[in-house]
Amino acid sequence: MLYQWLRRSCLALSCAALYVVPAWHLARLRGNGAGPAAGSNWADLAVSAGVPEMAPGIVGTPWSFRIFGIELLDPLAGVSLLLTGGGASAILIAILPWVILAALLGRFFCGWLCPYVPVLAAANGLRALLRRLGAGPPDLQPDRATPFVLLGCILLLSVAGGAVLAPLVYPPAILGRQLFSAVFYGGVGAGSAVIVLAFLIDTFISRAGVCRWLCPGGALFRLLGIASPVRVRRDREACDDCGTCDEVCSLAQSPMTDGLDSGCERCGKCVASCPQVALRLAAGKPIAVLFRREPLP
Amino acid sequence: MSDGGKRLPPITRRGLLVGGVALGGGVLSLISPPPAARLRPPGALDEPDFTRRCIRCLRCAEVCPPGAIRFATSFGMAGSDTPYIEARSRPCTLCMRCTQVCPSGALAPIDADRTVVGAKVRMGHPRLDRQKCIAWQESGECRACYYVCPYAGAAVRLDGRQLGPVFDREACVGCGQCEEACPEAALAITIDPRNGAPS
Repeated sequence: MLYQWLRRSCLALSCAALYVVPAWHLARLRGNGAGPAAGSNWADLAVSAGVPEMAPGIVGTPWSFRIFGIELLDPLAGVSLLLTGGGASAILIAILPWVILAALLGRFFCGWLCPYVPVLAAANGLRALLRRLGAGPPDLQPDRATPFVLLGCILLLSVAGGAVLAPLVYPPAILGRQLFSAVFYGGVGAGSAVIVLAFLIDTFISRAGVCRWLCPGGALFRLLGIASPVRVRRDREACDDCGTCDEVCSLAQSPMTDGLDSGCERCGKCVASCPQVALRLAAGKPIAVLFRREPLP
Repeated sequence: MSDGGKRLPPITRRGLLVGGVALGGGVLSLISPPPAARLRPPGALDEPDFTRRCIRCLRCAEVCPPGAIRFATSFGMAGSDTPYIEARSRPCTLCMRCTQVCPSGALAPIDADRTVVGAKVRMGHPRLDRQKCIAWQESGECRACYYVCPYAGAAVRLDGRQLGPVFDREACVGCGQCEEACPEAALAITIDPRNGAPS
């Protein structure tokens, strides 16, 4: 299916960029006899000698990215900055592409670009293996308001502490820093412990628990995409209630019962999995439900 | 639409608990004791405006030619994963690239022009311990700091019988090249950060 191929390509590109961009910068610096590990005479690099000017076309990670002069900023970073008083019109312009895409496609970022997806896939794989071995881990279902409460907390703390705190707990931002650190300095920092913890939560406590209950960025994308006109639609005549779609969904959506909320990441896995071809992604009346209170049927 | 509706999230006991724990933990780490100050990259706003703006993207470190800009995760959340420079091991070369890629203005853009840098950049202030300085102790010739200083003659000049360094607190940009160049046996120079940057 073209849709899945396209989505996986975007994911692969996004994940690869976390490694390739710093590696490219490092190679560039080393080419100039500089870089963090190259032995160099600092005086030769000083402003008096003049560093060869090589304007980097691409810098950063999806958290904050510049590509040939265009700034892209994660909405979570933008909202944090606006609240801590560091905001400006440039910030609003930089988050605009994400805000528009989220308004159209809900929390698509999570299924299309988030570099945490491979970690989640590994956790889901381990869950499946454990289940087959007869030691299926629990799937804890906290209150569905949890991600929004946590988003509120992290923003509140940012204002109170006078610091942008979201990147310390937001998996894509942490992964970006850790990969950068691995490439540039040959080691990862304490932030990787957060990723390990997230993997353990997803594996042993709750399926996709971090994406569903903890991630502040996911919660913000859900709020921004609440009125998204693109949604999974079900053909009631063709559907034979087999439940395959509900089973493949990582994010606790129930396409089979039309039980969708803002948590749908438009990954289209349910559509691709339907044996009756009864599901499709199409324009329609927005779901407009922040979260369902009832647990899955 | 089978269920749900547009209800606002009601506040539940569990929600309150989760929020309470998250807030409490956050407050604890925010008020944890501030560690020793470190040099911020050039163009850095004064604290606390710097931490208000820095989104910890580390783009400054990505473009830093000498790899002088570092970051570390710490329990004091406000300063965790924000950029700093340890001049003694890797000083700033004043190329101003970091100031030009900062997305949020935590580092204000500065032109890579010798005069502009000399006027605008004040990362820290030099402090010399004459008791340790080879020249001032008259145990030999050195002048290492003078030779590496991008603003030699203004920020540092040589004085005395053995031509020991005398620093000008006002003219020094605080890049730390002298601190790095100062011989292992002496380590007489320290750049005191202008900002009380939490590490």
